[in-house]
Amino acid sequence: MALPELTWQFVYARLAWALVLAALVVATWPRAWRMPRAVVGGIAGASLLLMLLPGAASPAWHLGLAFQYPSGLLAGLCAARLHARWADRRDTVLMPPRFAAVLAVCGTVLYLDAFGLLARGYYYAGFGLGAAVLAVVLAGASALAFKRGHGRVQACAVLGAVALFSFTRLPTGNLADALLDPLLCAWALFSLGQAALRALLRRGARPQLAPLPQDLPALRSAGAEPFSPIKE
Amino acid sequence: MASTLALLTVVLAIGAAEAGRWTRARAAAAPSTLQATIPGVVTLSELSRSMIPMPRNTPSAHASAMATLPGDRMVTFWWAGSRESGPDVKVYASQWHNGKWGQPWEVASRDSLGKALGFGVRRIGNPVAWTDRSGRIHLYVVATGMGGWAASRVAHMVSKDEGASFEMKRVLPMSPLFNTSVLVRTNAVGLVDGGWWLPVYFELGIKYPMLMSFGPDGEPTGLGRIGSRTTTLQPAIVPVSRNDVRAWMRDASDERRVQHARSRDGGASWEDLPPLSLNNESTSLAAVRLANGEFLMLHNHIEHGGSSRSLLRLSLSKDGQTWRPVADVASGAAGDEFSYPSMQQVGSELHITYTFQRRAIAHHRYRISIGENI
Repeated sequence: MALPELTWQFVYARLAWALVLAALVVATWPRAWRMPRAVVGGIAGASLLLMLLPGAASPAWHLGLAFQYPSGLLAGLCAARLHARWADRRDTVLMPPRFAAVLAVCGTVLYLDAFGLLARGYYYAGFGLGAAVLAVVLAGASALAFKRGHGRVQACAVLGAVALFSFTRLPTGNLADALLDPLLCAWALFSLGQAALRALLRRGARPQLAPLPQDLPALRSAGAEPFSPIKE
Repeated sequence: MASTLALLTVVLAIGAAEAGRWTRARAAAAPSTLQATIPGVVTLSELSRSMIPMPRNTPSAHASAMATLPGDRMVTFWWAGSRESGPDVKVYASQWHNGKWGQPWEVASRDSLGKALGFGVRRIGNPVAWTDRSGRIHLYVVATGMGGWAASRVAHMVSKDEGASFEMKRVLPMSPLFNTSVLVRTNAVGLVDGGWWLPVYFELGIKYPMLMSFGPDGEPTGLGRIGSRTTTLQPAIVPVSRNDVRAWMRDASDERRVQHARSRDGGASWEDLPPLSLNNESTSLAAVRLANGEFLMLHNHIEHGGSSRSLLRLSLSKDGQTWRPVADVASGAAGDEFSYPSMQQVGSELHITYTFQRRAIAHHRYRISIGENI
């Protein structure tokens, strides 16, 4: 069991909460409005300046009072949100359903255990040797996923959170706190709910067409190919 | 190619960092049983009783904890202020020297804790203290976040000057729920390697006891849960041998009995035992093991016409399951409060402190003699 120094935690809290705040502002920015790089940079800079204010003047003081530290993964995903707006990649999805499902399941099990309902000691294991092995495995898997182009944003965020944990033990010395926090879990559950709602709405809106016959000779002879207006 | 190399470097660096950290890791230490067993009957003779001086303008006081100092001296910590959870509640200390208590001094406030931690602290609660082999005092203080006691965290502070001043070490990470709902109350327990166990408990509707172990350098080495009940808290832990450890707990269930758990592997795992016949209306208790091998418990007892905290009793047991009363330390009418007891053996003396009517901290001193009839 190795825990981070308080000074590191002090610095981490301000930087990480600044990322979270800036990402929230960017995420709520109206889609119709343009967001040039200067605005993204300004939001990030202003968030950081706010967090660096002394004592109770800093939002980090109050956020720490309520939530202590955001997980490394939440901070990483928030940094990814800022980077996506900086690079003007509006189609970047930070919380795809599979990733959200993994976080939601892990969070539910972890918090049921923390509430004493499971009594399996999952959180305590986050300080142990098994967590160290898991950190290395996760780092390897994230690097592989990034290399193969699977969920690059999420892979990068996980790798960053694990690296932060392994090199400095931030934010708390527990691997569970590096990869998950109740805010991130709530985000994952919200995203899953949104995805489920969208799927339901799509299903409801789909017109009930009569099934096509299996063999349509006219189509077969014409050699029809699918057409998409999107450039590839 | 460059990105592959960068990724590989990061993964290898992570592997190296983890491997390096775990080759330096310390194995779990066994609990220290302090003294060899001396056969004989225990006699407790009261030597003195007094009130620890209170700071000015603090009508409310609660939750005392003692730590030993060299030369049969002691220091006691407790919280005091206008009322429980009040913004002016602070942790105070007083030193026992030459048979009397000195003037109290302020140790921690919500302002001093917040300043040291870099985030706000809303209210201050129970302290627990431990003196390590190098004479440093480790003070653990309940400090809440947003909310009531359910939002509690435990701050770890260290003093190198016998409690005159403290330096903040960190908030101990013990829960994934914003690290809230963890508290301390009962005495720490020494380990053979110079480390110690800090009894902890979770309290957010459901309540369960935990144990955090520390190495001789004061760094945490492990965290685990005691038993699987969800209605017990404030474990009083007593080692019997290197492997056999007992814990008695405050009960928040409808059973209203002192709860009991046992470890047979030096605290690594715990099993719940049947509750004792001693009643417990959700009140804190303290327990120690005496030189003759018997367990001594200081606990509230309810008699006809009394209330949950109006009688504070000392009881003895040979097996930890069956107890017999030895002496009533304090008793009053229904509604009186003598609660949150703490015990410390210093040489052949037993020191007891407890909350007196929520107004002050009382101190009783007993001589422990073995070999005579009670």
